[in-house]
Amino acid sequence: MAYKHNPVTTFLAIAGAKMTRWLLHKLHRGGTALPGRVAMFFDKNLLDKVSEGMEVIVVTGTNGKTTTCNMIETAMSEAGKDTIANKAGSNMLLGITLEFADNATLSGKPKKHYAVMECDEGALKQVTPLCNPKVIVVTNLFRDQLDRYGTVKNVRDQIRTGVELSPESVVCLNADCSNVASIGKDLANKVLYYGLDVPVGDQENVDVSDAPDCIICGTPYEYKYHTYAHLGGFSCPNCGYARPAAQVAVKNIVKAEATGTTVNVEFSAAGEPKTQEVRIGLPAVFNVYNAAATLCAFEGAGFDRAEAIASLAQVQSAFGRMETYDLDGVPMQMILVKNPASMDQAMGYVVGLEQDYNLVMGLNNHISDGTDVSWLWDAHFKVCEDPHLGKVIVSGECAEDLKKRLMDGGLSEDRIQHIPDDATIIEKCRASKLPVFILPNYTYMMTLRESLGAVTGNASLWEV
Amino acid sequence: MSTVAEPTLNICHIYPEVLNLYGDRGNIRCLQKRLEWRGLDCTVSELKLGEQKDLSPYDLFFIGGGQDFDQAVLLEDLRAGKGEELKAAVEDGKTFLCICGGYQMMGHYYETHDGQRDEFLGAVDFYTVGGDTRMIGNYAFRLGAESGGSTVVGFENHSGRTFLGSGVQPLGTVLKGFGNNGEDGTEGVRYKNVFGSYSHGPILPKNPAFTDFLLTTALERKYGSAVLEPLADRFEHEAHDRVLERVLHEK
Repeated sequence: MAYKHNPVTTFLAIAGAKMTRWLLHKLHRGGTALPGRVAMFFDKNLLDKVSEGMEVIVVTGTNGKTTTCNMIETAMSEAGKDTIANKAGSNMLLGITLEFADNATLSGKPKKHYAVMECDEGALKQVTPLCNPKVIVVTNLFRDQLDRYGTVKNVRDQIRTGVELSPESVVCLNADCSNVASIGKDLANKVLYYGLDVPVGDQENVDVSDAPDCIICGTPYEYKYHTYAHLGGFSCPNCGYARPAAQVAVKNIVKAEATGTTVNVEFSAAGEPKTQEVRIGLPAVFNVYNAAATLCAFEGAGFDRAEAIASLAQVQSAFGRMETYDLDGVPMQMILVKNPASMDQAMGYVVGLEQDYNLVMGLNNHISDGTDVSWLWDAHFKVCEDPHLGKVIVSGECAEDLKKRLMDGGLSEDRIQHIPDDATIIEKCRASKLPVFILPNYTYMMTLRESLGAVTGNASLWEV
Repeated sequence: MSTVAEPTLNICHIYPEVLNLYGDRGNIRCLQKRLEWRGLDCTVSELKLGEQKDLSPYDLFFIGGGQDFDQAVLLEDLRAGKGEELKAAVEDGKTFLCICGGYQMMGHYYETHDGQRDEFLGAVDFYTVGGDTRMIGNYAFRLGAESGGSTVVGFENHSGRTFLGSGVQPLGTVLKGFGNNGEDGTEGVRYKNVFGSYSHGPILPKNPAFTDFLLTTALERKYGSAVLEPLADRFEHEAHDRVLERVLHEK
C-alpha cells in the first residue's frame, strides 16, 4: 500500500458505494458513475486499499481489450482462480475502483484474490500506481477517437507513463505493433513480447497506415511481412528500431476457419523454447492476437499455460464482439466497430466468408463513442464492392453519415435503407433470406443488443 | 472538324502519405464521384515527400491535416523547392482546398506558445499562433457570398489560432463552434482560388453545394466557363440539413 487510509473513510467509501449501487439496482438503473463517485469522494485512493495483496492483470490498448480480458478471465476462472473483472465495460478509474470496492469487505479487505481489468488507455497512469498490477498487457495502438485521445503518439506516451509508474509489473507488449513495441524500449520493467512470426493471408501494405514512420526517428518503416493494418515485421532502415523477438510467438497458422483458428505457438520466456498447438475458438486474425496476448499474460503472471490453452479452445465471444444470434432461423452475427482498424477488420472478415448476406450498420456519436464520425472515411468499406452483399440497413443518430459513406464507396442509394427503430430492424432481419451481419458502434450496440437479446432469448455470457 | 475534348479535371493530392487524418481523403473520393455522376472525367495524382513534379497540368490541389510530429519533415520538403511551385500555382489561380494543418501551412508562420516561430509557405496572408486549449467539436459555418454562400458542417480539432491578414477574406462566418481562433467569428480563408478551412469531417461529402462550388471554380479557371449539371441530390442535401440541425443543437 502506497497511501495512507483511514479505517473510517475506507468504511464510508465502500459502504457508500455498495449502498448507492444497491439503491440504483432497486430503481432498476444500472451505471457505475454515481457509486464510483461516492467511493472516491470519501477516499480518492480507495483502489490502493481494496486491491491490496491481489494479483491483478490490467489490459489496455485500442482494440481487443474486452475480448482479451474475457479470454484471460475465463481461463483463470475455469482453472479455479476466483477472479473479478469489469465486465460491464466501465474501464476508467471510477469504474475500476468500484469493481474492487464491490469485492471488498467493509473494512477494505479483498474477498477474491485475482482481478482482470480492462483499462482505458488514458486512465492507465491513474490506475497502475494504485493497484500495482502483476501484469500489464498492451494490445495495439490504432487511431481512435482522435477528438478524445489526441494522436496515436500521445496515447503511446501516456501508456508508457502508466507502465513506468508501476515498475514491478511485468509488461506484455504486442511485438508486431510498432507503436506498442516501442513502449518496451529502455524500460525498467520486465518485458515480454508476443506476436506473429509469420504473415497472415495475402495482406499487403495499406495505403493509410497509423504508423508509417519510425516512432523514434521518423524514417518510413520497411516490412518483412504484414499481418493486418500496420502490424507485422517492421524495421527502421535508419535508426535500427525493429520488431523485437517475441517470447510468445505464433510460428504458423495450421487452420483458419469461420469457427476459429488453430496455430502453433512457441514459448521461450523461460527455459527451453517449446512449441504447442493452440486452438482458438473465435475466428479472424485479431483474435489470434487476443489469444497470444492471453498466453503472454499467463507467462507473465507465472500461471500454468495449459490452463489458458484448454480454455482458449472453448472461448466465447464477448459482449457484441462477434456474438451470434438465431432470429427464427435467420443466422445473425454482431461485430463491434469503433475505429478504422476495427471497421476494416470486421468488413474484411465478412467479405472473406464469400457468402451472400445482408448488413445492418448502426452509428451513434455519444461521448463514449467519440462525437466525431470522420473516421468512417479513414476506413476502406470493402463491403461496397462485394458481390455477395444484398441490402444494407443504416440506423443510429449518425445514419446519414453511414449512408453517405456507403454511397461514396459506390453502393447505390436504392440498396440502402434508413430505419431508425430497433423493432422495425428486427422485423426486416426476421424476413431476411440471407444471413445478417450487424456492425454497430459502442452505444448503438448496447441498445440493439438488448432488443435482439429480448427476441432471441440470448443471454450473454459476458454480462453483469 | 475538330472534336472538343470532354472536360477533364486533374486533381493533385499533396502529401497523402502523411496528411491523412480524420478521413480527409474522403474529399478526393467525393470530388471524383460528383464528376463521375455528371459524366465528367478526372485524374487523381499524388505528390509525396521527396517527389518533384511539374505542377502545371493540375487544376485542383488538395492538402489535408496531419499529426503534429509530421510537420518538421514537411517544412523541410517544402523548402527544397515544392513550396515555390505551389506558391506559383496559387498566384496562377489554381484551385486549392487546404484543411487544418494543410491550411495552416499556406500561411506565413506558426508561433508556438513559448514564442518559437516556424516559417510556413507564406502563399496566403495569415498566421497562426499556438494556444493552450484545443478547439474541438462538430461545428458549422456559412460561406461568404464569393464562395457560394452555402452552409458547411464539419469537425474541428486544433489548438492553433489563425488570424487573417488584410488582403484576404475569411472563407465563412461561424454559426456554431470556434473557427479560426474562437474570437472573431471567422472561419478559414479565401484568397484567389485558395479555400482554406479547419473543417475535417471530411468537409466535402456532407457539403455538396460547397463541393460543386470548388469544382465549378476549377473548371472555370481551366475552360473559361463551366456550368455543372445539377444532380438529383435529394439525399445529400437531406443529410447535410440533418447533420447541420444536429450540430446546431449539440450542447
